[in-house]
Amino acid sequence: MGKKRLTMRRKESISGYIFVLPWIIGFLAFTAGPLVFSFAASFTNYNITSQMDFVGAENYQGLFTEDSLFWTSLWNTLYFVAISVPLTTIGAIFLSALLNQDIPGIRFFRTLYYLPAVLSGVGVYMLWMQLLDPGTGMVNLVLSWFGIDGPNWLFDPEWTKPSLIFMKLWSVGGAMLLYLASMQGVSKNLYEAAEIDGANTWKKFFHITIPMITPVIFFDVVTSLIGGFQIFQEAYVMSNNGEGGPANSLLFYNLYMWKQAFTNFNMGYAMAMSWILFVIVFILTIFNLKLAPRWVHYEGEEK
Amino acid sequence: MDKMRGFILVLAALVLFLSGCAGFQTSNSNNEKNEQEGNTEGKTVIDFWTFWGSEIRKPIIEKIIADFNASQDEIEVKHTFLPFGDIWTKELAAIAAGDPPDVVINDINATALRGQKKQAMNLSQFLENDDISTRFYPELWDATLYEGDSYGIPFNTDTRVLFYNKDAFEEVGLDPEKPPTTWAELEEYAAKLDKKSGNDYDRVGFYPLWGIGYDVWLLNANGQNYFDEQNNFQIDTAKNEEVLNWLKTWKDRYGDDVVNSYQAQIDSQQGHPFFSGDLAMIAQTPTFYTQIRDYAKDLNFGVVELPEYEAGNGNTSWGGGFVAEIPEGSKNPEEAWEFIKYLTDVQAQEYWAVQNFDNVANIEAAETAAQSDEFTEDGTMVYEKAVENMEHTLLTPVPVVAPDFSSLINPNMDEFFLGSMTAKEALEKSQKDVESLIKKNQ
Repeated sequence: MGKKRLTMRRKESISGYIFVLPWIIGFLAFTAGPLVFSFAASFTNYNITSQMDFVGAENYQGLFTEDSLFWTSLWNTLYFVAISVPLTTIGAIFLSALLNQDIPGIRFFRTLYYLPAVLSGVGVYMLWMQLLDPGTGMVNLVLSWFGIDGPNWLFDPEWTKPSLIFMKLWSVGGAMLLYLASMQGVSKNLYEAAEIDGANTWKKFFHITIPMITPVIFFDVVTSLIGGFQIFQEAYVMSNNGEGGPANSLLFYNLYMWKQAFTNFNMGYAMAMSWILFVIVFILTIFNLKLAPRWVHYEGEEK
Repeated sequence: MDKMRGFILVLAALVLFLSGCAGFQTSNSNNEKNEQEGNTEGKTVIDFWTFWGSEIRKPIIEKIIADFNASQDEIEVKHTFLPFGDIWTKELAAIAAGDPPDVVINDINATALRGQKKQAMNLSQFLENDDISTRFYPELWDATLYEGDSYGIPFNTDTRVLFYNKDAFEEVGLDPEKPPTTWAELEEYAAKLDKKSGNDYDRVGFYPLWGIGYDVWLLNANGQNYFDEQNNFQIDTAKNEEVLNWLKTWKDRYGDDVVNSYQAQIDSQQGHPFFSGDLAMIAQTPTFYTQIRDYAKDLNFGVVELPEYEAGNGNTSWGGGFVAEIPEGSKNPEEAWEFIKYLTDVQAQEYWAVQNFDNVANIEAAETAAQSDEFTEDGTMVYEKAVENMEHTLLTPVPVVAPDFSSLINPNMDEFFLGSMTAKEALEKSQKDVESLIKKNQ
């Protein structure tokens, strides 16, 4: 009896493995394989078509010691992430708190604010280039109504990154939807109890809503941090001809990596860059995970 | 029962697995299909990649292909359109995967680099029997060479000329048949053509950086590229400093607001200030004429070579262009070569030139096209000037030792024009940056 059961379990597990086989093969062929390959290639002068000689740590050494554009691009990316992630997170929370009201027509506003998240990509960036045009753009026109002489936005190296951050705020709709869903999931009992104790709207927001949605905040911060480090398309479209200009102010890490790979065909060098980026993002994510228990509150979690 | 269930499970898993694999196979089965089609008709099918997918260009290139296909019974050319932003990264991936197209249209200025990196096939094996190098402008041909061998056949090109508004000239008492010939005259004429009411400009005479970049003016003044034939790089010179400062004086004269608001209109095409008479002169490619034709039919304009730095210095201008290449690993290089020969021969080139109002690489075709009945009087005038201007036109092929050199120079120039660096500082830094890049790549 026991023997038979064992063979059945075995059969079932074999079937199970066969079922997941397509995924495993896909993972090996399209994720793990390229990963291993790119790591190995980062120690070579690989240029896709003609050479692949082992050069040791030369690529990494060159990046850190000889390549000033590496540091420029890293700085640009850090600047962007450090400002845009907190700003879009706070923006999304604030917006979803506003849209979490029970007033007539709220569905219309929710749709309206979510709409930009549906529109994305090159078309939107082109639109923003027109809006931000210092001479004819809407943004400076509106500013001028208030007597403000708007900056040169994408033409002034001091303002290019703030321009992109400003633009990013327009698409907080996706994160907003997550926050809205989690806010609606907060138990009404908590608010009622707080009201009995005399808590006002702000107290309720900061002492109930925010703590209760911390898991979603955590998730949003981690994913937008990772996404922020991968910024590419915006700069590729909006910095004159994908050059990263003016004055390299929009030369983000991924844009520089892409140029090394596909303009200069220094694929090995670009792969070394990608591994450095991986290490940076990995460390930051681990740091976030370690920090999480201090501020993220899971309902029903035992402390 | 158990056996049955196990069998069904395994079968289901297999089906899933195979459907997962189907994704990989589509491209292969397509190729097989093509080859089979080719076999049944006895023709070799070759794949030709271009980025000419617009309503205007697509029918023109497809007509050329159809004519070629009809002209013989050995080869069938299949046209594949890929968007401009994708075509070369896709090509690179296809070469790496060992399944590239047979002919691809690529940027002329990096042809040597692709030759060096073994992405484009060395064409000397075909040229030995079939020397077609004399068909093309020598400047274009030279740009395709790496260590003496050609890696791409020139297809089209462009140049930079000066368009000017004849009515505006007449209005301020300038002879409309005598456009400026030197930089000093350019300045003098522009000052006359400027029309101000209060602090605002109703008409701007000229601004050197609308339409072309600072690099064209450096080329125009020096009569040569930053790199000499031995790949020595020289940008930090007294003359270049003077040129940059000259360019800056224009910016200071008109002021940021005027420059920026005009720039936006120039980029928008329809509202171009040259069409409305708000800008009297602009340096542009000859194809700018097609916009004048479409948006400002009645504009009374003339076209002339870029003025020279000083009398006797020469009217050097700048151009780029595209080549037809056979990627490394093409399965049908012989057939690809046959097609490239047709594509760059007089008939196809002339058709392309006339239909597109585009400068072609084939000299005879360009000269014949200039006389085409299909052009209007203005069209003929512009096209003739463009053909004539090829004599002064230099290309700037990227040196294999520093392919990305311009991305080191441009940021410094940005800083100069924004006022955070002097011309001397920008040039010194560019010199140093590019030299260290060359050293690194050698």
